[in-house]
Amino acid sequence: MADERHAPASGDAPARRRGQGELEAQVLAVLQQAPGPASAGWVQERLEGDLAYTTVMTILSRLHAKNAVSRSRSGRSYLWQASSDAAGLAALRMRRMLDGEADRDAVLASFVTALLPHDEELLRALLDAASADPAAADRES
Amino acid sequence: MGFFVFLPLILPLTAVPIARLTEQHLHPRGAARLMTVISAVMAVCSVLCLGLIGVVGTAQIPGNPLPDSWSDPVVRHALPYHETVGTAAMWLLVLVAFTCCRTVVRHLRVRSRARRALAGLPEGSAGEEGLAVLPDRNPYAYALPGSPGRVVVSTGMLDGLAEDEREALLAHERAHLRHRHHRYLLTTQLAACVNPFLRPLQAAVAFSAERWADEESAQAVGDRRITARAVARAALVSHAAPAPGFAAFAAPAAAQPGPVPRRVAALLGPVPTARNWPPAKTPAGLAAMVAAAGTAASALCALNAAVALLVVLKAVTPL
Repeated sequence: MADERHAPASGDAPARRRGQGELEAQVLAVLQQAPGPASAGWVQERLEGDLAYTTVMTILSRLHAKNAVSRSRSGRSYLWQASSDAAGLAALRMRRMLDGEADRDAVLASFVTALLPHDEELLRALLDAASADPAAADRES
Repeated sequence: MGFFVFLPLILPLTAVPIARLTEQHLHPRGAARLMTVISAVMAVCSVLCLGLIGVVGTAQIPGNPLPDSWSDPVVRHALPYHETVGTAAMWLLVLVAFTCCRTVVRHLRVRSRARRALAGLPEGSAGEEGLAVLPDRNPYAYALPGSPGRVVVSTGMLDGLAEDEREALLAHERAHLRHRHHRYLLTTQLAACVNPFLRPLQAAVAFSAERWADEESAQAVGDRRITARAVARAALVSHAAPAPGFAAFAAPAAAQPGPVPRRVAALLGPVPTARNWPPAKTPAGLAAMVAAAGTAASALCALNAAVALLVVLKAVTPL
């Protein structure tokens, strides 16, 4: 993944296979540079790596399903506009993953785990102790 | 062989005391390593013994793929060969294989989905784990293993923390990545799939890994109180959010504090001593000895069973 990201500079862009997530991010980036609502053809022209029109349409529809782009009808086709940036898109995808995987906490080390019923009061007491005057605590130790 | 082949299946119980006691008496780093090794060895022995019981027990059943000599009276005499026990062992093995596969698949799926979600975001420079800050009101912070690993934090989480606490959070997640804590977690999860008696160890290792990262974070920011505050505040922020409700529902209404307050309390307490083995004449020392003895006995039983089987096999197999 890390190598792929720097690949455009080397000029062999069409040869490499890009993941869907990366394509979505690229399409979104192009749309963000657009001065206003843009057609799929406009996006296709500006995308590197000769993607087929249908591929661009698929990606745009997928982005639309994620609410990352909005579309408006113009004649017989759609005009597309970015409604979130790359980080927003990543956040949407991450949320889907977190909601979809019931036990993701078993895999990803979460910073904090769920609290038991009495933990909240206990934590507030501890927090008071932690935020207490540091100088006093230093004298004690 | 006889009775001893069943021992490794119950010997993990000898590790329960150490799982209870390491929290107060060992540095979390040593505790995590010790308990991961113990559960890995015991899990391997359990599988080995289940396999032996299964192979020998089912040797009588017509149509099994083993050589005829396995059902020889000599073998029958030397080995336990209850057909029901053997069949049950085989089914257990299948179940173990299934749950282990499911655990690994789930692990890889979560990792790849998280990685795909972050595709398109700039990665960190070499050596430094990339930080991905995602605009999301739900507070979460994860260490996403891989090469390079990534730290994923939502703005909801960052907003709830002060500047120095954010630093503590990032140091905590980076410690997870740097010490590859996901390997400890996966190893003990698989071990717990193999033998449910190893579940206390799994929980203890998960907790030790968090404590370990907490200690590293405290060292990085230079003040244990900052890390303590970060953990406490993050937990409160996450708790206030509409969380998956059944975690609180399923939790027993016991007076025992949960893992998060225990972590905060430990951070507010003294620095843990750097020892990796508890002093001999304490309960923790005794528990460690019991667990070590249990592990050794488990390994010996498994080895003994395997050797006995090989010897018998060699005797009845015309070479």
